[in-house]
Amino acid sequence: MPRRRPHPARRRERRRLLAATIAALGLAATLALAPSAALAEAFDLGALTALLGGVKSGEATFVETRRIEMLDRTLQSSGRLSFKAPDSFVRETLKPRQEKLAVDGNTLTMSLGDRSRTMQLDASPEAAVIVEAIRGTLTGNRNTLERLFETTVSGDARAWTLKLVPRDLRLRGQVSAVEVSGRDAMTREVKVQLADGDRSVMTIEPVATRGPS
Amino acid sequence: MMPGAAPARRARLAVALWLAAVAAALVVAWRTHYVADLSAFLPSAPTPEQAVLLDQLKSGATSRLLVIGIEGGAPDDEASAAARAEASKRVAAALRASGAFASVHNGENSAWADAGRFLFEHRYAISPAVDGARFSAAGLRDAIDATVSLLGTPAGSLLKPILFRDPTGETLRIAETLTPARAPRIDHGVWVSRQTPRALLLATTAADGADIDGQQRALAAIRSAFDAAPTPGLRLVVSGAGKFSVESRERIKSEVERLALFGSVVIVVLLWLAFASARALAVAVLPVATGVVAGIAAVSLGFGQVHGMTLGFGTTLIGEAVDYAIYYLIQARGGDGAAERWRRDSWPTVRLGLFTSLIGFAALVFTGFPGLAQLGVFSIAGLVAAAATTRFVFPVLVPNGAPGAGFRRQLARFMSAAASRLPRARWGVVAVAMASIVALVVTPSPWHGELSSLSPVSASDLALDAALRADVGAADAGALVAIAGVSEQAALEGAEAIGARLDRLVAAGVLQGYDSPARLLPSAATQARRLAALPDATTLATRLAEATADGALPAARLAPFIADVEAARAQKPFGRAALAGTPLASALDALLLPGDATRPWRALVNLQAGENGRIDVARVRAAIADVPGVRVVAIRAELDAIYARFLREAEWQAALGAVAVALLLAWHLRSARRLAAIALPIAAATLLVLAALAVSGAALGILHLVGLLLTVAIGSNYALFFDHLRERGEADADTLASLLLANLTTVASFALLASSRIPVLQAVGIVVAPGALLCLVFSAAWLGRGGAAGAGAHGKIAP
Repeated sequence: MPRRRPHPARRRERRRLLAATIAALGLAATLALAPSAALAEAFDLGALTALLGGVKSGEATFVETRRIEMLDRTLQSSGRLSFKAPDSFVRETLKPRQEKLAVDGNTLTMSLGDRSRTMQLDASPEAAVIVEAIRGTLTGNRNTLERLFETTVSGDARAWTLKLVPRDLRLRGQVSAVEVSGRDAMTREVKVQLADGDRSVMTIEPVATRGPS
Repeated sequence: MMPGAAPARRARLAVALWLAAVAAALVVAWRTHYVADLSAFLPSAPTPEQAVLLDQLKSGATSRLLVIGIEGGAPDDEASAAARAEASKRVAAALRASGAFASVHNGENSAWADAGRFLFEHRYAISPAVDGARFSAAGLRDAIDATVSLLGTPAGSLLKPILFRDPTGETLRIAETLTPARAPRIDHGVWVSRQTPRALLLATTAADGADIDGQQRALAAIRSAFDAAPTPGLRLVVSGAGKFSVESRERIKSEVERLALFGSVVIVVLLWLAFASARALAVAVLPVATGVVAGIAAVSLGFGQVHGMTLGFGTTLIGEAVDYAIYYLIQARGGDGAAERWRRDSWPTVRLGLFTSLIGFAALVFTGFPGLAQLGVFSIAGLVAAAATTRFVFPVLVPNGAPGAGFRRQLARFMSAAASRLPRARWGVVAVAMASIVALVVTPSPWHGELSSLSPVSASDLALDAALRADVGAADAGALVAIAGVSEQAALEGAEAIGARLDRLVAAGVLQGYDSPARLLPSAATQARRLAALPDATTLATRLAEATADGALPAARLAPFIADVEAARAQKPFGRAALAGTPLASALDALLLPGDATRPWRALVNLQAGENGRIDVARVRAAIADVPGVRVVAIRAELDAIYARFLREAEWQAALGAVAVALLLAWHLRSARRLAAIALPIAAATLLVLAALAVSGAALGILHLVGLLLTVAIGSNYALFFDHLRERGEADADTLASLLLANLTTVASFALLASSRIPVLQAVGIVVAPGALLCLVFSAAWLGRGGAAGAGAHGKIAP
């Protein structure tokens, strides 16, 4: 039996539906391009970095546990973190031994006891991956994050997770992924998964009252 | 008057001597070694530390370093970045295989595989951390903890393969000391520029920096490595001392050819104007040719070689020397005894002009630049030979001058018209002088030429060089500490003593770091001390057990460490030869220079500026003052100081030269009034040239100063002529014409130099060409007698 042509009224209805769908898609696209739009459903990298970028400086303590497969051991360390927009970041390990890693712009200074040495961050991509994952997230630097990583944001503004996978395949051979998670504008945890199986989890606890400056 | 028997013999003798001298000079010139390198543009060094510096610039490691860029594509385009990285790896591999390079670096770790193996095997002799305390139980615990703290980070994954052999992290410690504080950015595994889409390679040629043929082959190897698999859209750029040398040589070669060609055209045209006679032309060329051959021979004998630039400068000799021929060939006509008459009447004037010119060129001999000294010797020998040929040989060869009138009548008419009209504007000369003085006073001092302004490297090449150097973290010349020692070991021990003091400056942030040869090759004493600090296997095992109790590393797995330390205890300190075949060898060659009978061994420690980008040389000097035999050389400041000193010397020489010219004229004239009258137009001409250059914003240096002196030396001849004219009578048409011709040859030859792409020649030409012309015009205006000169155009200079 030949297929019947739809009734004109139903055809009109379908056209209206189609138009509505296209309009909705257009609206969605517009919303996607406007991350500041106050729509909970559109919580993406833009929204996350905008949220984080509102905080210009901060201080926190951290506790880090590292799983070293080769030694079949878990190592623990703790210390202080601080950052200041646009691009200063300091990680100071107090236990089990004093160590300091300070980044200012492209200058990386590492201090161990009374020795310290300075190098250019972008001259050492392996270091840059870890530093930028944390500094870029803390300061909400969307450009840097997108330049270095394939990013995936999940959750919402109140509890979010940002998964960062290095774009450079060679680097991915060393650092498989960095997963940063937090609540509101506060970063609470950084997980690093290395390609050789080692992994670390750093939990972060804010110490000072912070606010936009 | 018939020449007598004695004069005839003398004449034959003169010709014979001339022929013999020319033949001898030709032999010397034929055997001469011709060069076209850049060293002629560097001053000869008067102090030991400047000798070190200039030695470095001429044939040190810097002179062998080429910076290679592979550029093209959009800044943020992933695909083109990958293509550049690919090309960088391909070119680096090809260059390493070519054998033309001592080392090639492009940021790939693979280049360091051999070096890394060597450093790992000798880690207990090289690591600065090794001492007795480090191998105590507490020291071992601390070192192992530091290593363990890196595990679980990307740095840790590099350590893992050697963890149980090197738990104290000596290899890492060595790597830290060898990693430069300023390194290029790494993208896609290779060095790239931070500024532009460009991959970077650093290649050290196997050939010496002074071996221009070798540099040329190295450059060709780079080009063919890049062209072997061309990627569309990618370009190759290369810079470095070797590139400059090769290009400068090409440029000097082509300039010399151009100047010789145009110089010949100029002389033929002018002689044609003067005589319109092929025979006269052939004869007139003789003094010039004799002068050129004599100049080459003199330079060759005095310097052992002749620089191409000297030959280029020879065109000015054409301009000067041809004047003698023109004067003689025109003025010595008039039948028997004309040559004798010329010798009596005109030769003294020609000789005076010769002497003033010699004074001018003598200033070049003493400038302290080998290249300029060559120009001076060349010109002096050439002028003397040309004048002597005219004076002694012409009367025999062409006793009656040369036939042909050419366009001399027209030239004379023009000259006499000009000479009669110009004096109407005689006060204009004073006005010009005043205006020039005002302009010089209100314009900022133009005397800010630099040493680099002498080099024939173009501004665009220098800009590319600066950009590439900034990319690789070697933006400016910086500073170095030179340590002299009687032996290799003494130099290395000195470098170690300096290193200990510089470490404090690094800790204080005064310096960001330094490169020392002792990091690659510690002195035998230091190596022996480190190896002696290692405990034996039993002791080490006991201490390790204590150090690793409750630690992350189980002592049971550290047997390889104990074995390696035991093996190291048996090692002897290694020497320079052990580094052969690794990139460490070329790095060491750059920092440790062998001594010989005349020079001590030298260790060079390169300083890297602190965070403000500058090096506080005073603090460095103070920090190392207690180490003997050490000099801190701030390269930029040192080069500027050398140049400033030469400029001061040149100012003295120019002043002395000007005084000498004035004294010579005073002796000749024996009249203060006439001397003053002659000095005014010359002063006005030099002032106007100087003011014009200052107002145009040109940076003036030593060569411009030399040019001003030459202007005075040459220009005074014209003033002298008009002075004679005023004092003694009127000139005939031929004399006026020959004066104009002489001026035109001078102006034309120096104008040719002014068009040169070799800055040294250009600087002299740009001053002398307008200066000589202005001297003639101003002399005619100030010293001329108005209408009288025109009326007397058919008269003679009354003796």
